[in-house]
Amino acid sequence: MATETDRRSGASTAVSFPDVSGGQLLVHGGLVLSIFLMGLPLLLALVMSTQTTTEVYQVTNLQIGSDGLSNYETALSTYNLGQYMVNSFVMAAVIVVGKVALSLLAALALVYYEFPYERAVFVFVLLTLLLPVPVRIVPLFQLMADLGWANTLLAITGPYIASATAVFLFRQHFRTIPSSLVENARLDGVGPLTFLVRVLIPMSRGMIAGVAVITFVYAWNQYLWPLIVISDQSKQVVQVGIRFLQGASQSGLTQWGLIMAGAVIALLPPLAVLIALHRPLLETFSLQQK
Amino acid sequence: MSQITLDGLTKQFGDVEAVRGIDLTVESGEFLVFVGPSGCGKSTTLRTIAGLEDATEGRILIGDEDVTGLDPAERSVAMVFQNYALYPHMTAAENMTFGVRSSFESDAAMQERVQEAAETLDIPELLDRKPSELSGGERQRVAIGRALVREPAVFLLDEPLSNLDAKLRVQMRAELLELHRELETTTVYVTHDQTEAMTLGDRVAVLDDGRLQQVATPQELYDYPDNRFVAEFLGNPAMNVLSVDVVEGETTYAAEHAEFRVPLPDHHDADLSRVAGSVAQFGVRPEDISVRATESGRQTSDGTAADESATAPQTVGEATASQTVGEATASQTVGEATASVTVTEPLGESLLLHCDVGEDSLRVKTQPRTAVSPGDTVVLGFDRDRLHLFDPDDGTTAYHSSPKGEAAPTRTVAEMQD
Amino acid sequence: MTETTKPYDSTLGAALLLLPTLVVLVVFLYYPALLTFRLSLFQTLLLGTERAFVGLENYVGLLGSGAYHGSFLISVAFAATVVLGTLVVSLFVAYLLFQVEVGESTYLVAAIWPYALPTAVAGTVLLFLLHPTLGIITHYVEALTGVELDWFTSGPLAFLVVALSAVWKQLGYNIVFLVAALNNVPTTLTESAKLDGVGHLRLLRRVYLPLISPTLVFLVVVNTIYAFFGAFPLVDLMTSGGPSGATNLLIFKLYRDAFEFSSLGSAAAQSVVLFVVVALLMWVQLRVSDRYMHYGA
Repeated sequence: MATETDRRSGASTAVSFPDVSGGQLLVHGGLVLSIFLMGLPLLLALVMSTQTTTEVYQVTNLQIGSDGLSNYETALSTYNLGQYMVNSFVMAAVIVVGKVALSLLAALALVYYEFPYERAVFVFVLLTLLLPVPVRIVPLFQLMADLGWANTLLAITGPYIASATAVFLFRQHFRTIPSSLVENARLDGVGPLTFLVRVLIPMSRGMIAGVAVITFVYAWNQYLWPLIVISDQSKQVVQVGIRFLQGASQSGLTQWGLIMAGAVIALLPPLAVLIALHRPLLETFSLQQK
Repeated sequence: MSQITLDGLTKQFGDVEAVRGIDLTVESGEFLVFVGPSGCGKSTTLRTIAGLEDATEGRILIGDEDVTGLDPAERSVAMVFQNYALYPHMTAAENMTFGVRSSFESDAAMQERVQEAAETLDIPELLDRKPSELSGGERQRVAIGRALVREPAVFLLDEPLSNLDAKLRVQMRAELLELHRELETTTVYVTHDQTEAMTLGDRVAVLDDGRLQQVATPQELYDYPDNRFVAEFLGNPAMNVLSVDVVEGETTYAAEHAEFRVPLPDHHDADLSRVAGSVAQFGVRPEDISVRATESGRQTSDGTAADESATAPQTVGEATASQTVGEATASQTVGEATASVTVTEPLGESLLLHCDVGEDSLRVKTQPRTAVSPGDTVVLGFDRDRLHLFDPDDGTTAYHSSPKGEAAPTRTVAEMQD
Repeated sequence: MTETTKPYDSTLGAALLLLPTLVVLVVFLYYPALLTFRLSLFQTLLLGTERAFVGLENYVGLLGSGAYHGSFLISVAFAATVVLGTLVVSLFVAYLLFQVEVGESTYLVAAIWPYALPTAVAGTVLLFLLHPTLGIITHYVEALTGVELDWFTSGPLAFLVVALSAVWKQLGYNIVFLVAALNNVPTTLTESAKLDGVGHLRLLRRVYLPLISPTLVFLVVVNTIYAFFGAFPLVDLMTSGGPSGATNLLIFKLYRDAFEFSSLGSAAAQSVVLFVVVALLMWVQLRVSDRYMHYGA
């Protein structure tokens, strides 16, 4: 798929469209309009996030507000969003690193090891797709309490660091690598872990980046589980943190400018990751489809 | 220097027996080629020698050491794969050194060895390139260089030239021979290509259905196949095989077909009693059949023959009655079979005729530019030194018409001019 | 091809490599899931400190509960709305992306960004922009249509607003997969149809949609699962299930029953129902993609 888009990407930087037919003009118009509509709420949120509460309450005021970036400062410091962002980053980083590492090891075993019940183990891993958090939420919460993990980083990362999808994707990718490469390594007595680190990982950079983006976006998006298992506000993640902002009011008026600033802040990290790594992400998606 | 001994080697994958009890010794310094159709077990045998597959039964010895249970890394073998097996993220030099056990005293010593191998293979300027920046031939050189750096007791090559184009394949073949002459390392080479097998091997081992059919020098395999499979597998176009009755003649036995009768020369090595008086498979290679035109043949093909006579330097019509145009010379030709030509295939250096002889059909390789056309009737003769009989039940060879000596019988230059 | 054996054969080694993944899956996925089944057969008393085995009573309770029926129907309707809305809009954008001759990759990145949009952010932004009195979008829509959009009190409107937010968030993911699927349609098919003078809409309906149907099924499943499970932050932030239960999705009801009303047994039974929903969806996807695999081969 990526190659399909790459095929035409060379022309995408062209400023003028010399040979544009009437049909193509319509297509361009349709695309610009669709993308504008999809982005419009975000643009409006950006504008409003600079306005004072008074300006926000003048509903149709679309000027850059007089508050500048002060809503952002207030949200980050007074309303603790800075702390929530750090918490989210730590959570997402632990989940990404943990999931990639565990899944690489599991895929290494599934593809390169001969062992009994291999097929059953793979199916056992895949079947966890049937068990999203809501299916096990009450006992999982009790388990965290029993383990003494409530209100800790462990509670919001531990259940997420193993994944059927990541194991599946790495397994698919490893299977496309010619077996003669590992046989060559074996003739030299190169062990499986050395082979993983020196050969498989360098050869899977794109796939690892793709899985990392998917995992980061997924982890950053977590809301329900942190809401339940983290009751100590200072340990909360940013998605739930936005909820706390809703209570922010000034002389009886909800500070929507501040809330929009918070929403923009909570969106930026995954958006940046997506833009920076969209290529490996698209390639990974195309493998998932097969 | 190490010889390889396979002792009753058997490999099963589940219920499938890929290799069925192979006994074979590869002499120290020998270049041995495994050849056979796909699925015959040749690659599996090689991989079992390497240790990539565990032998189900039997033993493997390298030198005097039983390596059957050893890890591949402990066998002192280096392998070259069909798809080169280069790591795409490493340069050629890194590919050559990755995984080398620290038998080198220093890094510098290893680098020196890499440089040496690269010079042997004529690729020193490619050492810093990644595989994606190399052509197929260059990649295979790097893969061979990988093997050289390891200085193994045994080289194992699994169809190393199959991914190269035809011209490069011929060139690399010559270079591999030269390399082997230089290093004299025991080498086992797997291919499905009979030309590669014949040109490279000191000896060639033919495999079919997991069994070793015959091991011999290329010429001996060609001239004295042990069974019908080997006879038909080697040689292109393949040997003709048809059913005959072996009958007792006045002085010798003869092979009797509905359309012809060929006397079978007796010699000290021949024992025809096994098939005498019964049916046998009669084998003769296309180039060992000679062609003569007949009066009637000339008449029936008059029109076409006349057309071609303008360009053909020699036509059947100009030939004297006794002159043959096949590759076998007249003095050794025996038998006489009337055949009608169905198809002619000019191959450039020769002309291949498909002829109907009664119910059977024969491929005949004759001289190029012979004016024969489909529909012509010709008379075929057989080279008396190149006849074979196979047992109709198990395909084993019952008879070669010339004795299998220490050296294959050759014709003197004088004989050829005769 | 010759059969080959895998290079490493240490069962212990394989077990060690798989151990971390299997431990996490067993401890945090399989074990709690099994406990859910067990818990669904109990009634919890005194804020969960005591339990009594009640057999299938929790399920019977759900069957007889009008609130649960309502929540179930709303969830199904919500999923249908989200699936339909998402697929129609993404198909439109994806088809344009597929048709455009210049600048596809730039447009693509600009169109898939909602993939990175956290659901809570989508809900928060639209809560404000569609606010009945303060929302600028509401203001202009009302001015243009003359209809009053007070979704804080109108159930159907609240349902639509939440669904709209869900669609917005899902667009990116859907567009990625649809563009990929369209690009995989052999160009010869398009060309021959164009030579026959087939119009765009008919081309889409008669040629592309059938050919990309496996992807469509996959997206129907993904979007349904999102509507059932992922839309929780929208309800929590925008409507709290109201007005009068119009947006009380199963997942939100489950959350409240478990963590506000502490009826853990009933909540567990609701989890089991959700498990059946996921299992059904996965089964549909497996069946369909299987069929198409045979079709293609």
